Amino acid sequence: MKFTHQLLLAAAAVAALSAVPAAAALSEDDKGCLACHSQEGLKKNLGKGETLSLHVAGEEFAKSVHGELGCIGCHADVDSKKHPGSGRKIASAREYAVAKVEACSQCHEDKAKLFQGSVHATTLRTGNLWAPVCTDCHGSHAVRAKAAPEPMNGISCRKCHDEIFDAYAGSMHGLARGKAGPVKAPICVDCHRAHDVSPASTGTRLRDACLGCHAGALAAHEKWLPNTKTHLEVVACPACHAPASQKRVDLRLYDPATKQRMSDESGRSLDAKALWDLLRGVNREGAPARATLIGRLEVRTGAESHLLSAKSKAIKDCVTCHKQGADAFQNVTISIIGPDGRPVRYEAQKDVLNNPASVESVSDFYVIGGTRIKLLDALLALALAAGVLVPIGHLLLRKLLRRKPTERPQGGNPTR
Amino acid sequence: MHKLYVHPLPVRIWHWINALGFIALILSGVQIRYSDILAVLPFGLAVQLHNAIGFALIGNYFIWLLFYLFTDKIKVYHPDLNPARYYRDSLRQAAFYGYGIFKGRPNPHHVSVYRKFNALQSITYQIIMILLVPLQFYTGLLLWDVNGFAGSIELFGGVRMVSTVHVLLFIFFSAFIFIHPYLASLGHTPTAHFKAMITGYEEVEEEPVKDVAR
Repeated sequence: MKFTHQLLLAAAAVAALSAVPAAAALSEDDKGCLACHSQEGLKKNLGKGETLSLHVAGEEFAKSVHGELGCIGCHADVDSKKHPGSGRKIASAREYAVAKVEACSQCHEDKAKLFQGSVHATTLRTGNLWAPVCTDCHGSHAVRAKAAPEPMNGISCRKCHDEIFDAYAGSMHGLARGKAGPVKAPICVDCHRAHDVSPASTGTRLRDACLGCHAGALAAHEKWLPNTKTHLEVVACPACHAPASQKRVDLRLYDPATKQRMSDESGRSLDAKALWDLLRGVNREGAPARATLIGRLEVRTGAESHLLSAKSKAIKDCVTCHKQGADAFQNVTISIIGPDGRPVRYEAQKDVLNNPASVESVSDFYVIGGTRIKLLDALLALALAAGVLVPIGHLLLRKLLRRKPTERPQGGNPTR
Repeated sequence: MHKLYVHPLPVRIWHWINALGFIALILSGVQIRYSDILAVLPFGLAVQLHNAIGFALIGNYFIWLLFYLFTDKIKVYHPDLNPARYYRDSLRQAAFYGYGIFKGRPNPHHVSVYRKFNALQSITYQIIMILLVPLQFYTGLLLWDVNGFAGSIELFGGVRMVSTVHVLLFIFFSAFIFIHPYLASLGHTPTAHFKAMITGYEEVEEEPVKDVAR
């Protein structure tokens, strides 16, 4: 029996050597694994018609950055004495891939920590198993070095964000990236980061990413743009640099005490009624708002915000926004951070920006000319009418009612 | 006719710079606020002009302030500490503008070096020069650098509150710029007060009375 087992292993080793000729760096144990796992179409039946592929391209694994770790580096849980045939239950191929994050985090603790704080990990925790895990971006066996340039058609982000990626590919960044030669133009991870990916419209990370490369942007804007810092804080870069995009004003709920964006996780969040009260307070004159609304002009969709054009085509005409009825103010949302870290947006009437109640409810967002209060326009018209008509009326009355000099009483003072 | 020197040179310099500046601020302000209706100047240029003129007028304001702070002419702004007399004079003045002037009755106020303002002018100009004009300069300054003055803006109640106060005062000054010259034309001749603000000398018909500090 023992002899038969040794014979089988020897035969497997010979088979492995012939199957993976380039995998010379692999250990004998690894070659033993690949004796079976390099077979095309090898799979495990998980039941209910689902299978888990057990095939490993041995040559690619050998060339990968993990080749020297060997199979056991990630599959230490496999008991060679009982394998194959341990009868291990695997619920689904996806659950297996998600569970394997543990293996990665044993060595890549820092990256795993960053990933745990990402919107992808949060999505995973909320039950969406299709949120990306390590292997979705890095591959399971053909793991490449992190510094290796990623070809445009191999970007893993596009698996889920294909619409956004297509927009990016047509942008000046995407077009520059697609050209031959040294790669300088940014790709997804350069702005959104690889592991601690945060929702795009939270925080200042994306603006910081723009300014990180375009270090002279602040000084260049200061040459012509009044209140430059305010503009760069309140207006998202793509609002002007993706000129074809549709805009919206997002009124973000901030806690005035902590100066942090209010979230559903904080325990001090607005419930449905409180939010309704708030919206009522914003839309009409009514209940005082408990939170500060900080407005930000941004692009309506993620795809459109990637349609970045050349600098010469960016919006530079102030009146694009600084006029009543500007497109930018036709869409208004009120947002709060949801449980998964992404903003939850509620539609608001555009009137919230130029209603007299906005002086209190939207106290921190004002665009000269663009969100002006109509009542003040009426007051100006009234004041101008009074300024012109009162003197004219007074003058006419003086002319009509003036006494003739002959009618003056004797000894009276002359008219002044 | 007697001549009284009621408008010293610094006051005249301040007045005419302020008058031209306010007109320019109102016009550039209208251009900034209503660029969807009016397109005489590009928005950016209008903002730059508005800012530059604003700073010039803030500097000019100090000519007025320092002159009155360091001369005895400040008495022209001293409030009448006798309320009964003050209200009586105010009512008389209002009655003159609203009724007496149509009947050819004389102006109840008699100009003197230390009492060049009538009771209504006295209170109006105190409010304008000590409250409204500085408030307009202050709100304009905050709007000039929203980021730099973020703390002050928050104390004021937010950028929209600052802007609304700025606009309300702009509306007031827009009406004032029409009413003020009309009232100035109500002298013994329509141009008398205008000439006085150029030469400094106001023509009065009565013998000048000795001023009594109040």
